[in-house]
Amino acid sequence: MAAHEYHSKRSAGWWLRNPRYLMFQLREAGGVITALYGLILLNMLQQLSNGESAYTAFLSLMRTPPVLYVNVILFALVVWHAITWFMLIGKAQPIQFTERPLPWKLVFGINLLLWIGVSGAVVYLIFGGF
Amino acid sequence: MGGFITAFLFPITLFLLFFTAPFGLWPRDIAAYRTFTTLWQGPLVRLFFFVLIGGSLFHGTHRLKFMLVDAGLKGPGIQAVLDIILNAIAIFGSLGALYYALRGWLFF
Repeated sequence: MAAHEYHSKRSAGWWLRNPRYLMFQLREAGGVITALYGLILLNMLQQLSNGESAYTAFLSLMRTPPVLYVNVILFALVVWHAITWFMLIGKAQPIQFTERPLPWKLVFGINLLLWIGVSGAVVYLIFGGF
Repeated sequence: MGGFITAFLFPITLFLLFFTAPFGLWPRDIAAYRTFTTLWQGPLVRLFFFVLIGGSLFHGTHRLKFMLVDAGLKGPGIQAVLDIILNAIAIFGSLGALYYALRGWLFF
């Protein structure tokens, strides 16, 4: 008897059926948006190399109200992606320093503290502090 | 790795570059031309942006591929095309970031 591949049937709106699925999709969307921001930052570097007027025009565009407020929403998704990433690390614990996995909330809290520390380092080492 | 890079480094970077000045949340405009060109002289800053852009592109395109597969774009042919296009975006974007990171430092 020949083997046939089973094609699971799932409706397009499966992620709307359940708040957990919605949170999952929002996290995935946040991940995709990081690629979009990667391209925006690349464009920013290109405009920087083109000179002051090109760079200032880019910055002005990013600060126009429609673009700015869309950015606020996209940024919220990026932050959600980061927070849920730390939760996943807590639950998956790909690197274990103890014999038994630690409680996920403890690992999540440690990652949040690391996040604050790394952000502070970025502020001072990359962006020159306050 | 891309996930770690985007989770730890992206929020603070985007916040400082795109939101502090318009909303008056920082004493100075970090993204202003004169300020940023001064920061850009540092090799650590150039390395930071290269890693940030490369990591985000590989991570984001990977996530996009699985979202599209979840949405129904299945089959070996379609996935091969997706792999080519999305990896090309990540690779060429990363090479572009490397070019701008080295430009004006190793070459003009």
